[in-house]
Amino acid sequence: MTSIKLTVNGEKFEEQIDNRLLLVDFLRDNLSLTGTHVGCTYEGVCGACTIHLDGDAVKSCMLLAVQADGHNITTVEGLSADGGLSDLQQAFNDEHGLQCGYCTPGILMNMADFLRENPNPNDEQIRHGLIGNLCRCTGYVHIVRAVKKAAKMLRDNEPEVRV
Amino acid sequence: MYPAEIKEYHRPDSINQVFEIMAHHDEGESLLLAGGQSSMQAIKSRMLRPQCIIDLQNLQELKTVKVESGTLKIGAMVRYCELAKNSALDKNFTGLKDAATHVGDRQVRNRGTIGGSVCWNYAAACTPTAVLALDGRMHLVSSKGDSRVVKADDFFLGPLDTAKSESDILICVSFEQPETKAGSAYKKWGLVKDALPVVGICAFIKLDTSGLCCEARIAVTGMGLGAQRATAGEAALLSSDGDPKSIEAAIDGICATIDAPTDLSATSDYRYQLIRNLGFEVIQIAFKRASI
Amino acid sequence: MTSTIRPGSVEWMGERLARKEDLRLVTGKGKYLADIIIPGALHAVFVRSEYAHAKILGIDLAEAESLPGVIAIYTGESIKDLINPMPQAIVKPNLSAKYPTFWPLAVGKVTFHGEPVALVIARDKYVAEDASELVLVDYEELPVVLDPEKALSPDSLVVHEKDGTNEIFSMTFTGGETEEEQKLNEKEVNSIFDTAPVVVKERFRTHRTGLTPMEPRGVLCDWNESDGLTAYITTQRPHIDRLALSDILEISAERVRVIAPRDQGGGFGVKAPFYRENIIIAYAAKALSKPVRWIESRYESLMNVGQERDQINELQIAADREGNLLGLRNRGIADNGVGTTGVYWGFVMPFLGAIELPNAYKWPKADISLKVATTNKACLTPSRAFGHFPTRFAVERCIDMVAHKIGIEPSDLRRKNLVDTLPYTSVTNEYYDSGDFLKVWDTLTAKADLANFRKTQSEALKENRYIGIGFGCGVELSGVASELLVPMENQPGYGAATVRLDPRGKVQVFGGDAPGGQGHETTTAQVVASEFGIDPADVVVTTGDTGTTPFGSGSIGARAGSYFVSAVADACRELKEKITRILAYDLEIEARNEHFEFIDGEVIYIGDRSKKSSFLSIVERIIMFPINLPKGEVGGLDATAFFEAPKPMICFNADCCIVEVNIETGDFEILKWITTEDVGNVINPLVVDGQMHGAIVQGISNTVFEEFVYDDQGQQLSADFENYKLATAADVPNIDIHYATTPCPHTPLGTRGIGEGRPSSIPGTLTNAVCDALAPFQIEINELPLRPNSIWEKIQQAKQA
Repeated sequence: MTSIKLTVNGEKFEEQIDNRLLLVDFLRDNLSLTGTHVGCTYEGVCGACTIHLDGDAVKSCMLLAVQADGHNITTVEGLSADGGLSDLQQAFNDEHGLQCGYCTPGILMNMADFLRENPNPNDEQIRHGLIGNLCRCTGYVHIVRAVKKAAKMLRDNEPEVRV
Repeated sequence: MYPAEIKEYHRPDSINQVFEIMAHHDEGESLLLAGGQSSMQAIKSRMLRPQCIIDLQNLQELKTVKVESGTLKIGAMVRYCELAKNSALDKNFTGLKDAATHVGDRQVRNRGTIGGSVCWNYAAACTPTAVLALDGRMHLVSSKGDSRVVKADDFFLGPLDTAKSESDILICVSFEQPETKAGSAYKKWGLVKDALPVVGICAFIKLDTSGLCCEARIAVTGMGLGAQRATAGEAALLSSDGDPKSIEAAIDGICATIDAPTDLSATSDYRYQLIRNLGFEVIQIAFKRASI
Repeated sequence: MTSTIRPGSVEWMGERLARKEDLRLVTGKGKYLADIIIPGALHAVFVRSEYAHAKILGIDLAEAESLPGVIAIYTGESIKDLINPMPQAIVKPNLSAKYPTFWPLAVGKVTFHGEPVALVIARDKYVAEDASELVLVDYEELPVVLDPEKALSPDSLVVHEKDGTNEIFSMTFTGGETEEEQKLNEKEVNSIFDTAPVVVKERFRTHRTGLTPMEPRGVLCDWNESDGLTAYITTQRPHIDRLALSDILEISAERVRVIAPRDQGGGFGVKAPFYRENIIIAYAAKALSKPVRWIESRYESLMNVGQERDQINELQIAADREGNLLGLRNRGIADNGVGTTGVYWGFVMPFLGAIELPNAYKWPKADISLKVATTNKACLTPSRAFGHFPTRFAVERCIDMVAHKIGIEPSDLRRKNLVDTLPYTSVTNEYYDSGDFLKVWDTLTAKADLANFRKTQSEALKENRYIGIGFGCGVELSGVASELLVPMENQPGYGAATVRLDPRGKVQVFGGDAPGGQGHETTTAQVVASEFGIDPADVVVTTGDTGTTPFGSGSIGARAGSYFVSAVADACRELKEKITRILAYDLEIEARNEHFEFIDGEVIYIGDRSKKSSFLSIVERIIMFPINLPKGEVGGLDATAFFEAPKPMICFNADCCIVEVNIETGDFEILKWITTEDVGNVINPLVVDGQMHGAIVQGISNTVFEEFVYDDQGQQLSADFENYKLATAADVPNIDIHYATTPCPHTPLGTRGIGEGRPSSIPGTLTNAVCDALAPFQIEINELPLRPNSIWEKIQQAKQA
């Protein structure tokens, strides 16, 4: 067992955990943040568990929870600061960017990071940015549209950035 | 799906501390963890069952990219996303940048490191291939305190096998800035975009003052053997200006020396065709980049 | 937060309303199976067979059982006398077949790589996995049979010995019931083929692929002596699972409640069967009197489910020189896998595939038969385009070949032979109720502009660029009528819904189906809002809980837009009758339902619009103040309706795609995908668009990227996403959708059910386009997957020839 201290969605936690506990299980089972999903086994390919580690989109199934000690994590539950919908979340709703919603939290987390780097992306850039997230329902068409719309909403809202 | 028991987790602040922790463990018990994008797959599938994980995330000295007296030194913990953006690679080492830009996906690139990739040396991986073509040098320090520099040619020994011993730690990967004009390029083919390469190929071309090739290095991956040099192909480019005929000859050379296997991803013949197709493109791009 | 639900008088049918369910799903507040917590739940992990075929000589549990935290371990031997074996009637089709007998855990021998052998239950999921590694199974390997044609030969080893054969199912689909009638039909078809000026005979092989919902399967069961069993299951058909669990575990049905979580991470057919894992988890919860939970790993999922399409179709088409189709003959062989999956057993998919083979074309005569073979592979499980992805591939490809042989445009040949008068009964006796295929087709070809494309194509060829165009179409089931579902799955096809008004004028809808992302909460709310003239925000939809919902056969076969919403509309209309009867009485007017309008939250007498009530007041009056009612009326507003159309119903679509092939590598890019749909009246275009995008991309991904691969020992080599490749966003095109709709005359709203069969026209359309691009090489492709490697090989062969 190891003791870890970390910040998740702005809240500080201190927990005793097994060294082998995966970060995704820590978030889901210990902190009840079940918006972060698991869609593959060991390969880390589906992207449903994507979170922000110090602002970078990473797959939380590919990290041990102990590795997150001292770091700042954001999950989909923390994506919108004010408890409403962020522009990105709103755009996914507006454009029907999700169906079953299982992959959606991972996609939102990846795209929130992506849009910070690419404020005005074209379709090809968005599609390339989405490679780490598998979606089985939407065929990606509405997702691409939603990300584009969110980019525009964010540009229009500058400087008040709320990815 | 879940890791086997991990008795100890350490996050040392210095290389000396790494060695101190390693000293307490027998061979095979401890594992150095960089970005973890490959090793976590092995840990979760229980192919690896380390008793002790030594997490390198606090080793700041491994996270820098610097140019020191004509040598580009990339710290072992520098991530793909940082390589993909770093202008220090722009002039001569674009091949490594090409590779880093298309490794896996955004999330993998946000976490995976150059050091992790070269030390893991997966059977089909982009980074080792680029490092081999670009004549990278691995700077290793051993627990006994001695440091050594191993050329890529001597470092990559085969899939999941390198010259790094378990008591070594990789500090950085360095590249000599060529004295003449040089350029490089990497491309790969996979069934889906940015997947592990079914064929990956990297070319590094140096030009003399008259614009003719004075050195060429070509590395190939996806043949089941990890990153491989294709020396027979390189020779055909010497003294050429990158004309199609010389490139064709170089590719014939590559195909003659490389043994392309048939597996689930591709037939042998198709791999050769991909080597021809991608090879032509990367060599041409490398010449073009060198000539600028 | 801005609500997208707008008040006021909007015709909610046809509105691009943003989905209600999204608000929880985009904020991480969805509740999928793995998110449901029952305190004290134990974790189950399966030990699965390492071999495709082996005797179990013994299982040593000692070490595993001694691991701290392990609660119980079950094996086939330990449960076989305590649990009824499958099959049970509730999950057995009314089709004559050799149904294997099996228990949830292998008894005596294993028959495929990945079969459940033991179940480990522990307090912690990590410990459960540790213990599963310590279960030592002593196997004696047996030879395997993996090829369906070899499996059907008389000298093949037999997977399920008691049957004496691997032929699990066979059937002739044309030419009548008796052997004599069938012989006569065969003879007639033979004579057509003997004299036809044009005959194409080809063998089409489709690979093993299917659907993989992003949420794998899971089961969470709880038991107590008062209530019995509560089972949360990732399932598309909770009501069937309930009856099956009751029969198998001999728990009286009223003591079994199955809940499909409101949020499910996709189904696509994969969550429609009754699975053996459900049985043993429920058994364990009862035996231990503790909640037990199993969450499938992706590895297990890819080992066990989502495998479909594995067929050989030896197809022949006879035509005249003008391109009129004269006859169709098909000898289908399907690789069933082991067949140990309830409801479908593997062969039900190829069974429907054979029925749907004729597609939208007029075939004067056909001779279609099918044989399905048991092999040592995972059982076929349903996947969207159920059974007919392979047969449609064969027909759509073969039609192009006929056109090539005659020398006419494949799209012209299609138009010439499309069914032009509906209703129509196909050569396999499938009833096509309504629609206008030619309108759909002409809309597509107008958008595709073939003449212009041919010019562009020949210009491109001069520059050594190989572009091609492909066409295809699909008649798909709009719901599955009892007429088909009773024989095929031993279940009724009707839709059922309860609509309950509350005294605050709000509406609850209960449905027994169990969606996985199709947007039921929003589209149903739109239907209800339209019926009552209220806001969709005032409507709440509950699905999937057998404790609260009326019986339904599940979210299968495009039932939502056909049967379910029709039942919802009928239930609303029944309530409207009652509301207007009482309102007319209160207003002291002689008026019937049709004299009232439900609009803007009011119920208005059309004859004198000043005579009205707010929807809220009249609803509240009927529920809360049931005094001074007309004679014979009682209070309360709650109705359950069952909907079944008199005959089966269909929808129709047509596709066109344009590709460019790189002849150096065989790589191809989809430059354009155009589709035209007859989906009947649309409730929500956003949702319908989304269904089409998803289905088409699934079809592309199945055609090109995905393949389940077994080695010659029956080891499955594709059980992770590194090896079972799904198309990423960067691998697939945008989709250009056009609608050419005809309202369905048999549903109260004119809607059609859509989406289930939609991927079926994709493999043919895409392959036709690639072959068209490669026409200079005269390449015809009959095998899937459609991979650059194999295309390149074909080009090499053509160059050499």
